[in-house]
Amino acid sequence: MKPAAPQRPACFSNRVLALIELRDSILDAIRAFFRANGYCEVTTPLLVHCPGLDRHVEALPAGNGQFLATSPELHMKRLVCRGAPRIFQISPAFRADEQGAQHTREFLMLEWYRTGSGYREMMQETEELLRHVTGCCSLMPAGLSFPVPRITVDQLYERSAGWQPTRHWDEDRYFRDWAATVEPYLQTQPALIVHDFPAALAALSRISTENVRICERFELFLNGLEICNAYSELTDPDEHRVRFDQAARCRAAMGRPPYEADEPFLQAVASGMPACAGNALGLDRLIMALTGASHISDVHLFPEDLQPSP
Amino acid sequence: MLDTTSLRKNLKIIIDGDPWIVVDCQFVKPGKGQAFTRTRLKNLVSGQTMDKTYKSGEKIGEQARIDECNMVFLYEQGGSYTFMDNNTYEQVELSAAQVGDALNFMTENMNVEVDFYNGMPIAITLPNFVELEIIETEPAVRGDTVSGATKPARLSTGYSVNVPLFITSGEAIVVDTRTGEYVERVKK
Repeated sequence: MKPAAPQRPACFSNRVLALIELRDSILDAIRAFFRANGYCEVTTPLLVHCPGLDRHVEALPAGNGQFLATSPELHMKRLVCRGAPRIFQISPAFRADEQGAQHTREFLMLEWYRTGSGYREMMQETEELLRHVTGCCSLMPAGLSFPVPRITVDQLYERSAGWQPTRHWDEDRYFRDWAATVEPYLQTQPALIVHDFPAALAALSRISTENVRICERFELFLNGLEICNAYSELTDPDEHRVRFDQAARCRAAMGRPPYEADEPFLQAVASGMPACAGNALGLDRLIMALTGASHISDVHLFPEDLQPSP
Repeated sequence: MLDTTSLRKNLKIIIDGDPWIVVDCQFVKPGKGQAFTRTRLKNLVSGQTMDKTYKSGEKIGEQARIDECNMVFLYEQGGSYTFMDNNTYEQVELSAAQVGDALNFMTENMNVEVDFYNGMPIAITLPNFVELEIIETEPAVRGDTVSGATKPARLSTGYSVNVPLFITSGEAIVVDTRTGEYVERVKK
């Protein structure tokens, strides 16, 4: 006979213990949600040879030509290529040079993939996950209601910056306006799904078959805080090569050392990648949004360890 | 020339010949995009503020050479604040805008640091901790022992802070001027 599990204290009195309990209940709710929806939890390497192809993300070198993972994306997609229909993972991710009220160099990421779906189904599932977690943990941020309102990138920029990025693409203007007016507008909205990004910002998402200027990608914002980034995943092997080459050229143009193309990943895609949708969600930020914390260190168990040594 | 990696609150920089202080700065990085630092700057001479967004790595200006001098706050008259150098007895005047938030915690005869740019007084910095008298707060309710509970209290400067329930009117407390928060009761 198994001994009875020791009962958990009903209420913790100090901040750290309250945070331990809160983080535990949120992770518990997330795992329950994915299990109930037929997902398997996986673990992929944190030491990687290729840290990805986002030219604005710097990986931390880990020695022996390896890096700390900036996201589990490429390894999880290899599992999808090998036939895993629905997988999720909760793992640390590492990014150099990112430090601020909403950024830490090490953070906890929830990433998941479902085959046979596109980003529309993923939007639906993301809302269901949010509804489930807020319900389980009795944490309903003020103003959050379902369904979450949706807006395209063009609509968003039209109202807060007066132009449509997918019609007149200008990367420099896009990100300057984002920082100056778009993000401040998002901060006035309790919840918003922003979708249909300019094709130039596709990363590894699929270009829409109806409009070649947009990609099937969305992000969820809670009070202006970017919570997740999701795609209808690119599955075409040749297009994958093109995007890796483009990213390498951009890194070189920015004077940064190139990352080698991820050959095992590209081979897996070449062997056949099923249609699927994927989502990467920042868990520390979700906890911030649910608790109304204004600084990411407020939801960390070790805020004193977040600052790099001078 | 400094770039965005030097940006932090209270950094003083020269932009187009004027000294500015960073009053707020936020790291912004949109998904799949380049990083920015969004700043709010205050002109140390005119008091004017402006918002400026810098791309990561962009040059922001020269570090401002600011001379600091220990002075004592003498008095306020018609919105003008007079300070005196403890050694030379030289007096300088600053406007309310230049004194800024320090007004919330500054009382006569307080030792402060006055910042000079090109020989001009432009701003002051208070000690991190100052002692201030409470002129008004509700009396403590007997039997109320909830730990951590606070009540508002008005300081002699007019500023209101939250204090523990046991603090009474007429007492002096220590306030952290950087956060505006109560630190402890001054032992008599």
